[in-house]
Amino acid sequence: MKCWAGLLLYWPLACMAADDALSQVMRALAAVPAVEASFREEKTLAMLDTPLVASGVLYYRAPDFLRKRTLYPHPEDYEADGHWLTVETPDAGRRQFNLNGYPQLRPFVEAIRATQAGDQAALERYYQLELWGTPADWSLRLTPRDTDAQRYVAAIVLRGRNGRIDSMETLEPDGDRSLMTITSR
Amino acid sequence: MRRWSIPLLWLLAALGCGWIVLTAPVAADLALFASRADPVTELLLEQLRSGPTTRLILLGLAGDVEPERAAVSQRLAERLRVNREFARVANGADALPEAELQALFAHRYRLSPTVAPERFTVEGLRTGLQQRLAELQSPLAVFQKRWLAGDPTGELLTLFKQWQGGLREPAKRRGVWFSPDGERALLLVETQASGYDLAAQRAAVTAIRAAFAAASTGTGVRLEMSGPGVLATLAADTIRGQAEWLSTLALAAVVLLLLLVYRSARTVWMGALPMLSSLLAGAAAVDLIFGKMYLITLAFSMTLLGETLDYPTYLFSHRRAADTVADTVRQLWPTLRLCVATTMLGCLAMLDADFPGLSQLGVFTVAGIAAAVATTRWLLPALLPPDWMPPRPTAIGPWADRVLQPRPRLALALGGCGLLALLILIGKAPALWENDLAALSPVPHELLRLDQELRTALGAPEVGHLIAITAPDAETALRHGETIAAYLDERQREGALAGYDGAMRYLPSAQMQQQRQAWLPDAATLTANLNAALAGLPFKPGLFAPFLDAIAAARTAPPLRPEDVRGTLLGTRVNALLFPGEHGWTALLPLSGVRDAQALAAGLPQGEASRAYYLDLRAETNRLVAGFREATLARIGWGAVLIVAVVWLGLRAWRQVIAALLPVGLALVFTVAALLALGERLSLFHLVSLLLVLGVGVDYGLFFSRPGADPDLRRRTLHALLVCCGSALIVFGMLSTSALPALRAIGLTVSLGVAASFLAALIAARPLLTRMS
Repeated sequence: MKCWAGLLLYWPLACMAADDALSQVMRALAAVPAVEASFREEKTLAMLDTPLVASGVLYYRAPDFLRKRTLYPHPEDYEADGHWLTVETPDAGRRQFNLNGYPQLRPFVEAIRATQAGDQAALERYYQLELWGTPADWSLRLTPRDTDAQRYVAAIVLRGRNGRIDSMETLEPDGDRSLMTITSR
Repeated sequence: MRRWSIPLLWLLAALGCGWIVLTAPVAADLALFASRADPVTELLLEQLRSGPTTRLILLGLAGDVEPERAAVSQRLAERLRVNREFARVANGADALPEAELQALFAHRYRLSPTVAPERFTVEGLRTGLQQRLAELQSPLAVFQKRWLAGDPTGELLTLFKQWQGGLREPAKRRGVWFSPDGERALLLVETQASGYDLAAQRAAVTAIRAAFAAASTGTGVRLEMSGPGVLATLAADTIRGQAEWLSTLALAAVVLLLLLVYRSARTVWMGALPMLSSLLAGAAAVDLIFGKMYLITLAFSMTLLGETLDYPTYLFSHRRAADTVADTVRQLWPTLRLCVATTMLGCLAMLDADFPGLSQLGVFTVAGIAAAVATTRWLLPALLPPDWMPPRPTAIGPWADRVLQPRPRLALALGGCGLLALLILIGKAPALWENDLAALSPVPHELLRLDQELRTALGAPEVGHLIAITAPDAETALRHGETIAAYLDERQREGALAGYDGAMRYLPSAQMQQQRQAWLPDAATLTANLNAALAGLPFKPGLFAPFLDAIAAARTAPPLRPEDVRGTLLGTRVNALLFPGEHGWTALLPLSGVRDAQALAAGLPQGEASRAYYLDLRAETNRLVAGFREATLARIGWGAVLIVAVVWLGLRAWRQVIAALLPVGLALVFTVAALLALGERLSLFHLVSLLLVLGVGVDYGLFFSRPGADPDLRRRTLHALLVCCGSALIVFGMLSTSALPALRAIGLTVSLGVAASFLAALIAARPLLTRMS
């Protein structure tokens, strides 16, 4: 009985603490002006016997520039700058999209860009946020709000320490998933 | 009893005419310009009347903030898409619905232009599989991977690219189309009905307005609308609105004038009777003979009012206490008869079966003038008391005699000026004419500007260059289209044009589809090739079973025909570009960014059973207008000859003929010169107005040169003509203040022409008579 009362009493405080941790993490991320890191991505797909592995370099500059340059096995370059997304592949060449025109792409870009920018409002627009752990070692789970986006993404889980993102795992509804590990250079 | 038989007869005739007029439609149709029996013209008219470009309605959403504009665009599109009147509602957010995607996917091996034998060899399959693997790597793979097992060669991707081509897409913001500056959200709506089906277009416009009202509640977003159909309905509305407002004002002014001059209310409604009769009779005759009335005929009918108002005025001003009303009419009759005969015969020349538009003007005038004069001659005397007089018909003092004083020197100078003006006009003749239909458009300029802005922003096909194919059946048209597509691809590589569209892009001919089916390998070959291609690639075994099944099914599927895709988005797109007509089928290939139209047209491949025509719509319509104008001018020439002949028959004396007709000739020259000096370029509306000036001017000449007229009669004639000229100046002077190009042209020409005719007849008619006698 006493235990229950205690839980009831402390529960709001616990929430406040979690909220507090989230905003602390966001502040730490927002304080980072630029990132240059290498990444390794491993995609596990039901269609394939073996995972697909790719690697390359990530660049970030506050508040809204993000470039994912895949070097191996096929060169591919994605650059999100403000509302513009530039895609460059050896086959199709260089193409530019206004992200506003392709709302289904936006959540993918913001999952990592808005997180690194510590832009909680932007994240909340597309995802429900859940944070575990402490600011020193956190996991942030993003669940898409939009039903259309839910068809493609079940959740995205980011892990990190203070203002640094260590990994991003994308879980698709059909069980396919991809894990990107990020190592700061 | 006998006294009332004529009014009763008139009433019955008027009611009958009124009923005919009310039941017949008015058409804002370009067919009036066309001469029949010219295949290119016929195709052109079909295009202008019902082509896909005429069915587009362009929408702009302005005002409020960007997110609101985008949201309203979404809600408006949702509401419009459920309406069956619209064949297409596009706002940029129209990703293909799932059912349409599945249909495209199901038919991919017959529809995709990249299907070829080398696609299904070991090397071809391996290239495809490696590409798919690379795509899986990309962050965008989540959107595409569900198609992979059935489509390792990526045919659906080709079909997407085909689908997005054709129309240059505007930039998007928040998922929907926006103008480059972001100020307007843009939508494109295509109606099922032709752009010149005014009733259907009006219904479409109303439906859009209602949907917008519901979609925009609570926001400050404004709707802007354009497109041929919208412009046509707006034009009809604006013309009606402006014409009603101006004619009400003019009517009030004329009533005031009549009241001031004659001090009798009776003159007002008596004066209106011939006018009313002529309108009803003219419109009824046109409706009976042609089944519909062109907008230009309606415009011309207003100018006819100027002449019909004159007839009762002649009667009122010539009333003398000594005679009965019937006597006065009888005295006037020889001159009046001649006036009417000249106008009617002049217009008889316009009756030409090849030019329905011209014929309508002719029929309207002949019937209208006959009715007006019959009313003046027989109905007015029956309605008026025999000894009726307007209270002060002759408040003319000695100043009238001074005005009427012959001035031979002035007349000579006038003639000299006229000759000079004529020479100058002949000298710069080619520069006088306005052939551009846009300039004739009754649509206000700011609306046309909005149309251009929306069109540019949307990348909507302009009413510009296109290739039209006529063929006995759809299959032949599609095959010919494919031949031309190959030709255009080559020219496009050379830079002769930027792009093209056509039904064969979306639905290849059955022949082409069968060719593709023949390229698909049998099950055993395909399985062997696929297994060889898969060696060393990480795809799970058995993954591509759907692919093997799809190829096996595609090999034996019947070719897809236009009737099979009806009701789908694919069908809508095909139907807009390939449709049956009176003589077989027509396929259209709209072109964009044409550099050298002549070279393109010259090399156009022709078929055995089908013909391809290159249409430059703007040039062709301008050619039509020019042709129509030439025909009108020639007819006016013949009409002039007829007028001279009939005046000679009436007067039997050359000097009188010259005295009656030379002033109107001078007046026409001065009118045209004045119009040009004012910076006007002569359009069809000016031309039909000049016809009226001719009619009125001949009347003035005839009256001023009436033989055997005593000074008192001449005074009364001057009075009558002053009233006629004054009322015409009031009515048409008001029209000339209109912002609508058509009304302005009519108003300006007639008011200038009437004034010039009056002055020329006053100054030149007497001296010509006296000099020569």
